[in-house]
Amino acid sequence: MYQWLDERLDLGRLNAKLFRKVFPVHHTFFLGEITLFSFIVLVLTGVFLTLNYEPSTQLVKVEGLTDPVQAAYASILYIDSLPFGAVIRSVHHWSAHIMIAAAFLHLLRILLSGAYKKPRELNWIIGILMLVVTIVVAFLGYALPYDNYAITATRIGHGIAESVPWVGVAVAQIMFGGDFPGSSHNIPRLYSLHVLWMPLVLMGLIGLHLLIMIKQKHTQPKYAEKVAPGKILGVPALPQQGLMSGVLFLVFVAVVFLIGGGFLAHPVEAYGPLSANTPNVKPDWYFLWIYGLLKIIPSSFEFTIPLFNGGKFGPEFWGGVVIPSILLVGAILIPFFSFTEGNVKQRYLELPSRHPRRTSLTIAGLMFLIMCTMAGYIGDPGMEWLTISRAWLLIIVVPIVTYFVSFWIMRAIWGETWQKEPEIELIVGGGQAPRA
Amino acid sequence: MADQEAKLEHEIHAHEDEDPAVHATRRAVLQAAIGVGVAGTLLSTLYVGAGLVPKKVVTPENEPLAAGDILVYAQGDNKDKPISPADLKLGGPQTIAYPMNPKTNVVKGGDPNNTVLVVKLEPSRLSPATAKDAAGGIVAYSGVCKHLGCIVSNWEASTEDFVCPCHQGHYDPANGGKVVSGPPPKPIPQLPIKVENNQIIATAFFVAEPGKEV
Repeated sequence: MYQWLDERLDLGRLNAKLFRKVFPVHHTFFLGEITLFSFIVLVLTGVFLTLNYEPSTQLVKVEGLTDPVQAAYASILYIDSLPFGAVIRSVHHWSAHIMIAAAFLHLLRILLSGAYKKPRELNWIIGILMLVVTIVVAFLGYALPYDNYAITATRIGHGIAESVPWVGVAVAQIMFGGDFPGSSHNIPRLYSLHVLWMPLVLMGLIGLHLLIMIKQKHTQPKYAEKVAPGKILGVPALPQQGLMSGVLFLVFVAVVFLIGGGFLAHPVEAYGPLSANTPNVKPDWYFLWIYGLLKIIPSSFEFTIPLFNGGKFGPEFWGGVVIPSILLVGAILIPFFSFTEGNVKQRYLELPSRHPRRTSLTIAGLMFLIMCTMAGYIGDPGMEWLTISRAWLLIIVVPIVTYFVSFWIMRAIWGETWQKEPEIELIVGGGQAPRA
Repeated sequence: MADQEAKLEHEIHAHEDEDPAVHATRRAVLQAAIGVGVAGTLLSTLYVGAGLVPKKVVTPENEPLAAGDILVYAQGDNKDKPISPADLKLGGPQTIAYPMNPKTNVVKGGDPNNTVLVVKLEPSRLSPATAKDAAGGIVAYSGVCKHLGCIVSNWEASTEDFVCPCHQGHYDPANGGKVVSGPPPKPIPQLPIKVENNQIIATAFFVAEPGKEV
């Protein structure tokens, strides 16, 4: 059988060329894989959901409910009634959270270890695009259960999209299929984008990301330079790396089912179908910082460019679009602002504490996001101390202080040699280092 | 085969050598043709793409509010029944209402911009401009937050303000729906009303365009 296939497909060459390719090993290298695993779980659970979901807002009668409800909402009740239906829906929900978290941690790992530097600028940019697309897909799926909570959250997103000067209304109309809620095109449009188009884009980007990674070779821990200079130190894709990934995938599935089954996500019955009441919504954690910004930017932040129709730059545009876009563009430009001497290609990971400026800037950026997130809790019970002006003060002061404190600590630790990469000494004689 | 190609190429080059001007003209014509083709394709794609913006279908349920509409409960046990002024509690909270066409009895709940907040306040608290469109102490406002379009469904009893649950925008119902605090850019527009036959009836459209400020 193998021979038959080998004669036709040249499997031996494929094995030698691709599957014997060596990958370096480090525990943080699995963050990207976990992101990929969440995507796989999302696709698989998503397929199950599409087979039972009804993308429509037609009113239907449901046994046990006096008023008719939208078909989308009714089909979620139906899915929840299937064997393991609620669990699969919950796993789909939790995997989305894990995917975004893992992608973000993966990004932080790349940033802190300097792995984005030449020649990997392209993959850095693709990675950031993937994070954005992932968050967009997550948002587009939010309205699908069509419960009151989901509708309110999506309505805010619709409002933010509309706030873009000139083009916003058209973009919102196309993305949401008209005014949201209120148009019968809403759910079919969001559904198509959520289950088909955006995942396709994501799959394309994932493929490109992996291809470039294989072509450019993975960065490796610093000690590899001493052990095997100029070579890649690690284990082959098959069987070792494949086995590790396989085990990790199974562990991932087990954990996500444990979480999904233990904490059933988004109980639509508790929120109820669309009603005139607005629930006290809070967005998911990855949107909280934007939500916080929307709360604290005053309505006076507004001007209009009287050119054509709709040239309004309102507070929602600043908080919901401009500030996130600035961060995004800044992140994309990071590889082009780091100057490695000459024409050197980055092959080894850098120690974060030996790059205090970059590391401190990263931590300061995180503090900025955390402070904005905290502003999202203004007005909540127990948060009376947090006024809008105090939130502004925290958002501006805390990141700056963090930067200097963190920079100072790292310099104090390393003293005069702070800019040097550490020398690694090999322990000789204690067994043979694996070579590849 | 290769020989033929080489020959062909040779001929082309020979031709070019003979009269470069003719060749340049041909190239320009070809480039123009390609350009027109690409532009035409893109423009026709835009025309097809315009179909992505859905047409707004007007049904009796999502017609805009009109003068003469009766305000009915938007939710609860009395859903779709006219609001009786006597049932409104002095000092709030607000009741969320939809307009009902008095001729057809169709409740126009299909368009969120038709959502109306009704609240009864001490008549002496109302500003003169607000009192003009009120019926006694009963005032009605558009229920759609000017900030990001949520329904302003919360009530702050201590200050008698409408509160939007989404981003804590506060509006003052005694004072033309003025923004007291929070991010909304404009007041929510008031709805002129009168009380007749124990029903609350809109006497005109909202004083300004309802809905999220675009």
